[in-house]
Amino acid sequence: MASIALKTFTGLRQASPENHHSISLQKAVALPSQTHRRIQIIAGKTSPKITGRNLRVAVIGGGPAGGAAAETLAKGGIETYLIERKLDNCKPCGGAIPLCMVGEFDLPLDIIDRKVTKMKMISPSNVAVDIGQTLKPHEYIGMVRREVLDAYLRDRAADIGATVINGLFLKMDMPTSENQPYVLHYTCYNAKTGGAGEKRTLEVDAVIGADGANSRIAKSINAGDYEYAIAFQERIKIPDDKMKYYENLAEMYVGDDVSPDFYGWVFPKCDHVAVGTGTVTHKGDIKKFQLATRLRARDKILGGKIIRVEAHPIPEHPRPRRLFGRVTLVGDAAGYVTKCSGEGIYFAAKSGRMCAEAIVEGSENGKRMVEERDLRNYLEKWDKTYWPTYKVLDVLQKVFYRSNPAREAFVEMCADEYVQKMTFDSYLYKKVVPGNPLDDLKLAVNTIGSLVRANALRKEMDKMSV
Amino acid sequence: MVSIPITSSMQIAFSSQHATKRPQPQARQARSSGTMPATHVVTLNVKQQERAEMLVDKSNDTKDEVKRDEMEGSVLGFVDERWKKGTWDLNMFVKDGKMDWDGVIVAEARRRKFLELHPETAANQAPVLFRTSIIPWWAWVMHSHLPEAELLNGRAAMVGFFMAYSVDALTQLDVVGQTGNFICKFGLLVTVIGVLLFRRTQDFENLQKVADAATFYDKQWKASWQNEDATTGGTPK
Repeated sequence: MASIALKTFTGLRQASPENHHSISLQKAVALPSQTHRRIQIIAGKTSPKITGRNLRVAVIGGGPAGGAAAETLAKGGIETYLIERKLDNCKPCGGAIPLCMVGEFDLPLDIIDRKVTKMKMISPSNVAVDIGQTLKPHEYIGMVRREVLDAYLRDRAADIGATVINGLFLKMDMPTSENQPYVLHYTCYNAKTGGAGEKRTLEVDAVIGADGANSRIAKSINAGDYEYAIAFQERIKIPDDKMKYYENLAEMYVGDDVSPDFYGWVFPKCDHVAVGTGTVTHKGDIKKFQLATRLRARDKILGGKIIRVEAHPIPEHPRPRRLFGRVTLVGDAAGYVTKCSGEGIYFAAKSGRMCAEAIVEGSENGKRMVEERDLRNYLEKWDKTYWPTYKVLDVLQKVFYRSNPAREAFVEMCADEYVQKMTFDSYLYKKVVPGNPLDDLKLAVNTIGSLVRANALRKEMDKMSV
Repeated sequence: MVSIPITSSMQIAFSSQHATKRPQPQARQARSSGTMPATHVVTLNVKQQERAEMLVDKSNDTKDEVKRDEMEGSVLGFVDERWKKGTWDLNMFVKDGKMDWDGVIVAEARRRKFLELHPETAANQAPVLFRTSIIPWWAWVMHSHLPEAELLNGRAAMVGFFMAYSVDALTQLDVVGQTGNFICKFGLLVTVIGVLLFRRTQDFENLQKVADAATFYDKQWKASWQNEDATTGGTPK
């Protein structure tokens, strides 16, 4: 009888697996006080109250995802531990953040090194198109240094009450039974003792894996693998007069010579430019692609000195399993990088925040134990909010990055003002806005026209026996 | 008449890559460390790989500047007497008093082919201003005569003839009657669309592949949700 009452209680929630819920509800059937609570539909109501302490959550990885998650957890009154292996890490990264991130995460404006307001897209046959005329004066793409951004988010979390630990996560012991803690083994680095560091353990109730593309947390929960791209980048210090050209301009080069499935870029950083390229399918040829990118931009970076060479993996799609028990993945560890543009910083921070919010809500500010279905709420919310963005970018990549004619068509399309407005609106505010249907129709016709023309030229090119 | 300058200019463009060279590349070669071939042979894949490897070694040794001679790219660049200031001079494509759009299409294709084989630097001083949208749509249609159009028309005609015959045999409707009948007209519409989509047997597979590719990303995202039932209290697989 009590179980029937509880079943209707679960029936009012979302259509997540019912059998799952009934299993975890069984243990709460014995408590008669639960039945008159079924009017209140709050997550985690049936999980046990924690006495004497707050919920303990460990965030592994102190990048944007980890920093944002730790801040939200600490604000929610949860005992938070943030474990980061290198507090001054200069993560190799494009470094571009959309406008909405500055507002949503209250970033101070001095974190942003440069405000990019113009972009140049350059096709395989060097047709160059300027985009950015539709930007309003207050709109820009922010270029940041990762070490500055990451440190700011971490320090802010620490100020609110999170404990930042400088350590390297080694392995994790799964809980032996329901509601038992996870035991994390890590090497703690102490600035005073220096050297190799000492092994320590930490008991926590939930774990957020924010440790990046080669996530160890993902390995310990058998999250599965993803395809990834290699992004290769050279930081080049160019003479001042050439740097003026890149004052607030970023360039994107497309072409088979530059990358078979991605693009080459020249992004301005604080006092130098980053020239790089990436690929998924031809990782072995990355150096060749980098040379081609440098060639395409040759006159604009002539006389520059290479100050740093770096490479990093970029996930192409989410891992098959992003959640296991009370361990969840966010950011690059989960694989939240968009296709086509390869943007990851904003989504990492946002997913960290969303996951932390789900934990705070599910545990009622740390008073109750959190459960897997609370974390699944985060996955649901994330998928629902950002699925359109990811899908649209995936379609764009599949259609426009597949061959040189498609890239030519892509660059031609970017010259259109409507396209520019839609692109920037969706990039800067992370909302896919439908737009005017008549303009959409015109856009569709123009796109098809460009693609047909470019492919017709390709057929003509094939006929030539050069 | 117009074609001769094209071929001769292309001859010049491509012959520069062989032994008959202009003095400048020689000088550059002497200046640089001499490990680099300044020739660009048409079979580029092999040579580019070698050049790339040598250049990588060089940059690894010295962690060097971006020098002009380090990345020669195309020595000559794309040269054509009708390509002026980043666009095609349409006045030079006039044949018999009429605009020769075919020539424009061929010339642009040649330029793109050249750039594909010898990528050039995208210089701000010489931007590419030509846009293919300047060529009218009917020029494209007239230019790309599909040999398969003949095949498809023939097949459609045969199918049409035999369908008309068999429908007549089955329903006693002659051709005049068939064109008045709604079902027949609908069947005709479906057949026409089918012929457009499924021209050859490989089109079936192609469409299947397109459908798979379009939904692959969705499947990757939904993978987390498929594991739900498996993760209730289970140990990692």
